Amino acid sequence: MKKNDCIAGCLFIALGLFIFTQTFTYPSLEKGHPGPDLFPNLLAILFIGFGLTLILKARKLFPKTEILSSTPKRISNAFFVIGIVAAYVIIVNRVGFLITSAILLFILMKKLGVTLFKSAITSILITLFINLLFSKILRVPLPYGILGW
Amino acid sequence: MEFIVQGLSLLFDPKVILVIIISAIYGLFVGAIPGLTATMATALLIPFTFFMDPVPALVSIVTMEAMAIFAGDIPAALVRIPGTPSSAAYTQDSFELTKQGKAEMVLGVDVVFSVIGGLIGALILMTAAPLLAEIAFKFTTFEYFWLATMGLSVTVMVSRGSQLKGALSLFLGLFFSTIGVDITLGFPRFTFGSVELLNGINFIPAMIGLFGVSEVFRSVMHGELAYPIAKVQAGKIFKGMGRLCKRFKLNILRSGLLGTFIGILPGAGADIAAWIAYALSKRGSKEPEKYGSGSIEAIVDAGTANNSCLAGAWIPALVFGIPGDSITAILIGVLFMKGLRPGPLIFERQPEILYAVYLSFILANLLMIPFGYLAIKSSSQMLRAPRNILMPAILIFCIVGSFAINNTVFDVGVMLVMGILGYCLEANGFPVAPVVLGIVLGPIVEKNFMMSMIKTDWDVTQFFTRPISAILCIVTLLIWFFPLIIALFQKVKPSHPKGRASKME
Repeated sequence: MKKNDCIAGCLFIALGLFIFTQTFTYPSLEKGHPGPDLFPNLLAILFIGFGLTLILKARKLFPKTEILSSTPKRISNAFFVIGIVAAYVIIVNRVGFLITSAILLFILMKKLGVTLFKSAITSILITLFINLLFSKILRVPLPYGILGW
Repeated sequence: MEFIVQGLSLLFDPKVILVIIISAIYGLFVGAIPGLTATMATALLIPFTFFMDPVPALVSIVTMEAMAIFAGDIPAALVRIPGTPSSAAYTQDSFELTKQGKAEMVLGVDVVFSVIGGLIGALILMTAAPLLAEIAFKFTTFEYFWLATMGLSVTVMVSRGSQLKGALSLFLGLFFSTIGVDITLGFPRFTFGSVELLNGINFIPAMIGLFGVSEVFRSVMHGELAYPIAKVQAGKIFKGMGRLCKRFKLNILRSGLLGTFIGILPGAGADIAAWIAYALSKRGSKEPEKYGSGSIEAIVDAGTANNSCLAGAWIPALVFGIPGDSITAILIGVLFMKGLRPGPLIFERQPEILYAVYLSFILANLLMIPFGYLAIKSSSQMLRAPRNILMPAILIFCIVGSFAINNTVFDVGVMLVMGILGYCLEANGFPVAPVVLGIVLGPIVEKNFMMSMIKTDWDVTQFFTRPISAILCIVTLLIWFFPLIIALFQKVKPSHPKGRASKME
């Protein structure tokens, strides 16, 4: 916890300093009263103050938060999830919702250890269910790609 | 009376009934699965409610949250993992009783006292909200500023673990709320030339990311939880409940009132209500030694409190537009997006919608008896739902939901960033709920402060000299200095035997 708290504290201080660099150019209200910069600046001061306290306190003990064990394989799962979302964003408008969703669901389930047959069936069923829910019941258009799916 | 009839007619529309039933099943399922919280369920529900009329949208949230908070008790009793954080306070007691072969009784108590707690909360909501709305008419920007500041302070006060980290989470939320066009000059802040950010961070994808996607990350990183599930005979759960109700009638009243009050406090939710009710129950009990090793009294008290808290949280949300907990924080975001401004004006202009909400609380709690029974009956199947299929499904729901609101992939990006942030925060002991409250309360604090200042030509004294404003200011200051006061008090009175005993645990 100690090391992570120090890093978190530094990040918050950096955020505070960053806010200052941005608000520097903000205009003020008439008669020189603070305007759009007032709240961001106040937050910047708080980020820096509390960030420093966090670093100082990290030396003493904090109530230990539960850290669940994670193996490299599982950490790779997290990056996989990020990849899935990114892939969705990139291809959905070209390929359409039905194909994108079914394929990505299938890949993610396979990665998480579901059997081939189960992954195939459930990914198709979930996709059809979402399609029914959004485009038929709620009447929200989902992206349809070049194939019109 | 007229409004009650109108509210009932809104509620007994076949479409609304269908929405209630689906929301009930959804709430029970999400609540019963450890790790999936009621807040996450709300976040995932928003894209749907966004496309519904106001009444079914509100009713579905009410039903879902009531069911989810109850259903969180089921895995607490059967596998010793709370289904939602609100059941954490009495998980140990529930499981100990299950080990003693009393699973049926525990689950019966969970259903019955959740229902009673929920009904107490609903009755207080019905009576208190219109009365407070009268007072709310007198509120100006000064009072709203203090009210929102009070909400922010309570959020930090009650954050679990370290208050320092709670405060930092809150500041992050406040910072996110400053992104976009500012209210005084229309100056774009932190938009970096992006057109999408001019209107600020879109609230719905942000919520879905913070509560939905972060949970997917947590689950895929920490793997399957394998647990043996205790067997229950659902038919026996209601046996002897009448006797227990009689025996614990004072506990019910105390915890129901306490839970609702904690709900009303801006920023404190059902999990806090359960913990405080548990602590008070132990202090007032004739058998405090049983607490932690299977006390039915503890479950009665905490189980009543967490369900009564839900309706309580709607009071400040509807009357002032200040959220009582993280679920109502999401709710307020949704109401704003739908063009419904929570506040005293709703009470004058659309009272029938409010009555539909009140009545749906009562209906949802009554429905909890048959639905709760069914949920307990199918508990072992629900608890065996495979994570590695559930999580991909949740992820795709998150993506589609975030996309559907504005039909832009930019929002999916917001969702992903918030999901990563939510995961990193929680993994390092920073609570996520204050982030949401910051996002919702930030604009209220800033807008009311700036408007007050411009209105009075920067005369700060007005914040302290107006009567209601002064009272709210004192309360806020008391909250800030509460830890200090407690510390001083303990120094003056160091050897209080009871205080020491409770500290030992």
